Amino acid sequence: MTQHRDTGIGPPDEYLEAEIHRLLAEDPSVAEQGITVVRRETGLVLYGEVESSHRREEILRRVAERFPDLPVTSEIGVIRTEAPTQIEQLP
Amino acid sequence: MVIRIAAVGDVHLDEDVVGRFRPALEELPDCADALLLAGDLTRHGTEAEARCVAREFGGLGVPVITVLGNHDHQCDQVPQVIEVLEDAGITVLEGDGVVLDCVGGRLGVAGVKGFGGGFAGRCASDFGEPEMKAFVRTTTDSADRLAHALKSLDCDLLVALTHYAPVPDTLAGEPLEIYPFLGAYQLGQAIDSAPTALALHGHAHAGSERGTTPGGVRVRNVAHPVIKQAYSVFHVGDDLDQGEVSRLTASGT
Repeated sequence: MTQHRDTGIGPPDEYLEAEIHRLLAEDPSVAEQGITVVRRETGLVLYGEVESSHRREEILRRVAERFPDLPVTSEIGVIRTEAPTQIEQLP
Repeated sequence: MVIRIAAVGDVHLDEDVVGRFRPALEELPDCADALLLAGDLTRHGTEAEARCVAREFGGLGVPVITVLGNHDHQCDQVPQVIEVLEDAGITVLEGDGVVLDCVGGRLGVAGVKGFGGGFAGRCASDFGEPEMKAFVRTTTDSADRLAHALKSLDCDLLVALTHYAPVPDTLAGEPLEIYPFLGAYQLGQAIDSAPTALALHGHAHAGSERGTTPGGVRVRNVAHPVIKQAYSVFHVGDDLDQGEVSRLTASGT
């Protein structure tokens, strides 16, 4: 993966979103394809759903490690695993 | 008579998830005749992760049938993954099917992982570079095997199980640009070539739950991030009066 430049200065690079997206999918410690990266004036916001709080923390840790000067906010949730209370009836 | 089908996909198990689904899964013998898993059982497709799946989804008291997903192929350990799952009593389908004798009739399930390619009018073509042809032929081969498996089953209720999506309807919520990586219309065509009653898939984490094929077969995206519960339950039967999306179960109040 190409090294990113100017991570802490000015607006985020046009390629930053793609780079983070690929990092999250291709890094074996993350392997998440369902995380959305949204650029805001204040930095990046990560959205999505993962299977454990450990995975959520690992995503933030890896992004912070690679882009230490980039402000990142997480809106990543851990998916509920309750039994359903409703069924769908299909005639 | 009614056949009760529980389904979920994209559970992406590893050590950190083992035990999260189990309390809900223990209720399955009371509410479903079978559990169908729509692929991406693991994070990287390792034998160790497959053992986590076996612990979580093995010995449930209902038959468990699965297809693999793209994540289950990541580490090139598919034969080992399949062996671990089958040792735990989980039936792994890829171009074949199984018929289960349920109280409400014979449930036939045919499955393939499927592949991408896109949807009618906006899809990849078997043309040009060898890499492009190989991509599209992977899709058409998979769809052909699904059609063959669906047609080969003698049953009262026929269900198609894939990881990739057979229709764009259940991708609503995903970026349009990635639809060709999420499914292919050829899978829908295969589903419509047989008397399929229901098609279940996963893969599209940001997609939506309900759609239909051009031939009118109900399609449900059961990816865990979409259904946001341990599994969904579908009651399917000819003598049911009407469709009802959110019917409360006896215990659901």
